[in-house]
Amino acid sequence: MAEMTGPDADWGSARELDDVSHRVAIVGVGEADHTRASGRSADAIALQAVERALQDCGLEPADVDGLMTSGGLDDQLTAEQFHAHFGTRHDLWISGEGGGMAWAATAPYRAAQALAGGDANVVINTFAVAWASQRDAMRGGPGEFHAREPFKAQLELPFGWFPQPVYFATIARRHMHEYGTSPHHLGAIAVACRRHANSHPGAVMRNKPLTLDEYLARPMLVDPLRVEDCCLISDGGAAYVMTCPERARDLRKPPVWVSGIGEGRSEAGTYWSQQRNFTSTPQVFSAPAAFRMAGIEPEDVDVLTLYDPFTIVALMQIEDMGFCPKGEGGSFVVGDHLHFDGGGLPFNTHGGLLSHAYVLGISHVVEVVRQLRGEAACQVAGARVGVYGGYTGHLASTLVLEGDA
Amino acid sequence: MSASPLPDPTLEITRPFFEGAARRELRIPRCRACGVLVWYPRPRCPACDADALAWNTLSGRGTVFSFAVVRRALWKPFADRVPYATGLVALEEDRDVRLVTTFVHCSPEELAIDQPVRAVFEPLRFGDGPEVVVPLFAPLA
Ligand SMILES: [Zn+2]
Repeated sequence: MAEMTGPDADWGSARELDDVSHRVAIVGVGEADHTRASGRSADAIALQAVERALQDCGLEPADVDGLMTSGGLDDQLTAEQFHAHFGTRHDLWISGEGGGMAWAATAPYRAAQALAGGDANVVINTFAVAWASQRDAMRGGPGEFHAREPFKAQLELPFGWFPQPVYFATIARRHMHEYGTSPHHLGAIAVACRRHANSHPGAVMRNKPLTLDEYLARPMLVDPLRVEDCCLISDGGAAYVMTCPERARDLRKPPVWVSGIGEGRSEAGTYWSQQRNFTSTPQVFSAPAAFRMAGIEPEDVDVLTLYDPFTIVALMQIEDMGFCPKGEGGSFVVGDHLHFDGGGLPFNTHGGLLSHAYVLGISHVVEVVRQLRGEAACQVAGARVGVYGGYTGHLASTLVLEGDA
Repeated sequence: MSASPLPDPTLEITRPFFEGAARRELRIPRCRACGVLVWYPRPRCPACDADALAWNTLSGRGTVFSFAVVRRALWKPFADRVPYATGLVALEEDRDVRLVTTFVHCSPEELAIDQPVRAVFEPLRFGDGPEVVVPLFAPLA
């Protein structure tokens, strides 16, 4: 990864983070049922994921004294709902700096601070959405958030540059222009995710195969993107349990260690139209910082999960994290290079947002944990270092996890 | 979400942009101190931090930076306009300044990145609602 200098250096920056390597472990993971519209509420989905994460590590609800959720959404699990469901009434340390998206990677940083400061001993991070059920009413969901921003309302929406598939189709076309990226390249990402989902019992698309030829024959949704380049909309959620090293060793499953965390931001905020480096993501800033904290290089990564709302977003992050030179993502991802058994860089081995479920990255972390424990559906042989890359609006984040040696 | 995406031309942050469009002028703020174009509008120049910005009338010419062709209705207000091409124009005066626009007077198949385009000023309206004149972009030739 090159040092950021020259004209591209100032479109964003990395957040300064303390070294929290091996100060916190993920000891339990759980996923709710991922479905199309199900009529469930987000808190009911979150509670199912929390129950399963606690079963996974053998802890009781009363052991949990920290709860992290996404502070940016108003329907996430509350302490009151936690207590009402489990019949508990103890104090819970609460943080809104968790949940999914970019925060699925950075929640362990805040948790490490809470553990070190004595605010909590066992912290659970959870995220759930019922956006498939809410879709007809267009309540919640990513579109509603973006439509409220004033410059979008004045200078973007009136021109039909909305919603997100339009942003990323525009970015994809520019990436194709600058680097020769092709539909075959984007299709390789969609096909890899689908193949993994086909083997994952919890994936929404487990029964729907997709070949590259089928992908290429599909019509354009927002040219140059097809439906298959875009994430699902689904109901679902997940949770993971974190604790300190001493406690982590005594639980049901081997701990998975947090060894590096990074966060990068774009100065253009969520105005993608104005991002100076139009075909990059702030992983340019985030990933090198996380890899430095973990003491690893990109080639040390055995399994990678990336926030993949669109195939092009995965492609750009692969480049920006240094897995290949910028602009060479297309030739990097072709064939079975991203498949769990392809001998390349196993990628979104659960199917990702494209084919597993649209639970905004928290299941990506769950998948990395399962890979490092050797219990994934598409298990990567000998996986020891796993990475989740998150990307939300102006933020990218990177979480490096290591299996228990 | 089903509300009309018509811009509010009286909103202070972008009022000169829409006033200019009504007079068939493309207007963008320029820093009086260092001369850079500042987009999106903001109170201070991001290059030199001066707070003296003035709205300038530009040539209205530029090139296609990138675009998407919306082939299936994703969003109700634009459902009856598909297929349409929407994206970004890089302005002649500073190619790093990008305007979001709709490309008009050509079929999406005729459009290409780096193609020269010019602003055309046309009324925008949704359903039976009011009109606001906005800059759209068309092939230069
Ligand atoms: Zn200036």
